[in-house]
Amino acid sequence: MSGYTMNFRVLEKYTDMFLGGVSITLKVCVGSLVIGFFLGAILAIMKQSKSKLARGIAIVWVDVLRNTPFLVQLFFFYYGLPQLGIYVDPLVVGIVALGINSSAPNCEVIRSGLMAVKTGYYETSTALGYSKFQTFLYVVMPIALRLSFKPLTSNFVNLVLTSSVTYGITLMEIMGVAKTVSARSNRPFEIYLILLVSYCAFTYFVSFVAKAIDRRIHINL
Amino acid sequence: MNVFDYSAYALFKWSDMRMILNATLLTIRVTLLSLAIGTALGLILGLIRCAKNRGLASLPLIIMEPLRNSPLIVQLFLVYYGLPSVGIRFDAYTAAILTLSLNTAAFFAVLVQSSIQSIPRAQWEAGYALGHNKVSVYIRVIAMQAFRLLIPQAITLYISQLQCSSLVSLVSLMDLTKAGQIVAQKTLLPFLVFGIVAAIYYIVSFPLARLSEYLERRTGFNY
Repeated sequence: MSGYTMNFRVLEKYTDMFLGGVSITLKVCVGSLVIGFFLGAILAIMKQSKSKLARGIAIVWVDVLRNTPFLVQLFFFYYGLPQLGIYVDPLVVGIVALGINSSAPNCEVIRSGLMAVKTGYYETSTALGYSKFQTFLYVVMPIALRLSFKPLTSNFVNLVLTSSVTYGITLMEIMGVAKTVSARSNRPFEIYLILLVSYCAFTYFVSFVAKAIDRRIHINL
Repeated sequence: MNVFDYSAYALFKWSDMRMILNATLLTIRVTLLSLAIGTALGLILGLIRCAKNRGLASLPLIIMEPLRNSPLIVQLFLVYYGLPSVGIRFDAYTAAILTLSLNTAAFFAVLVQSSIQSIPRAQWEAGYALGHNKVSVYIRVIAMQAFRLLIPQAITLYISQLQCSSLVSLVSLMDLTKAGQIVAQKTLLPFLVFGIVAAIYYIVSFPLARLSEYLERRTGFNY
């Protein structure tokens, strides 16, 4: 411990690099949030469907994603796609892989939301003359999404934390920038400390906002 | 090269497979060791979280919150690359075990706390009414029931920590993921190699996942 004084000043000249990293991290998070949400919703519907095939696909999909590490999935796409003749930017690979990865927990959450909608709602909307599809779209799905809002946001927080793994495929998001800057400035301790604190701050911010929104939209069935 | 060019698959030799299997052992060793340490530490932290004294109960949060709200890689890099400049030096293996254990402990503590606190007050009162003292109630009434709730969740946590252990490959430890990366680059067969690697992870964690689901269904009870 002795003899080491922390110096954050030397990092000031790397501010632009860090901001670039933040913007890429945000791109990855937002992009994969959208993909993960819609994919998760589709999978949840598939798991609820009567077709055995659709159910089977959804179950295998979720099982495989949950029981293999994200880093391996990332490498699978990053090194594998060029073999099929598809050359894409690491950013795109990162977004798609993370989106697919987050579809698994989202599926579980949305499905439990769907299951919590009581049969009374189905009967009521049938009585009101809604078709099956209309019932699902206008009655069941809105309720299910309201119920699953809070766990979905905690999945989002997890997604943000996991997004740092995309550094493994040379993506210059905040973690990649931190690695580069720590080599250049020789101040790894300060850099990773800042990173740790900022991730915590961001996580708290997201959960705070999520709680505030959830209080407004929450319904008791 | 073409994926459908099957002659290329001859590039994948038995020695490559052996390398992957050896690396699997390291992954398992790192995971088991860090889970053991993490569970013990997490149990202590979780019990402190349940203390009556508010100040004492919030003490573990100082260490738990940063661990739960930041990415594991950042923690790993802080320990492995950051701490040496403060004068604390670990080799990659120790750094990996240390970080993974602390991370596991933080999450395990939450599980311990929530399962103890989900035991209704009436169970405590019943214990006292039967003439148990505080320690005795804790051990014979509360811990037994909390344990049942804890197991399935703990297994889920263990599975996710197994997946997280793949991140130690980023501090140049020769774990399953790292071996996969090396072999994939050598043989130029990424689909095959990462498929095998993913399958190994899957084989280890899938039965555990099903066990956890089964236990959760069996141990769920209403008061």
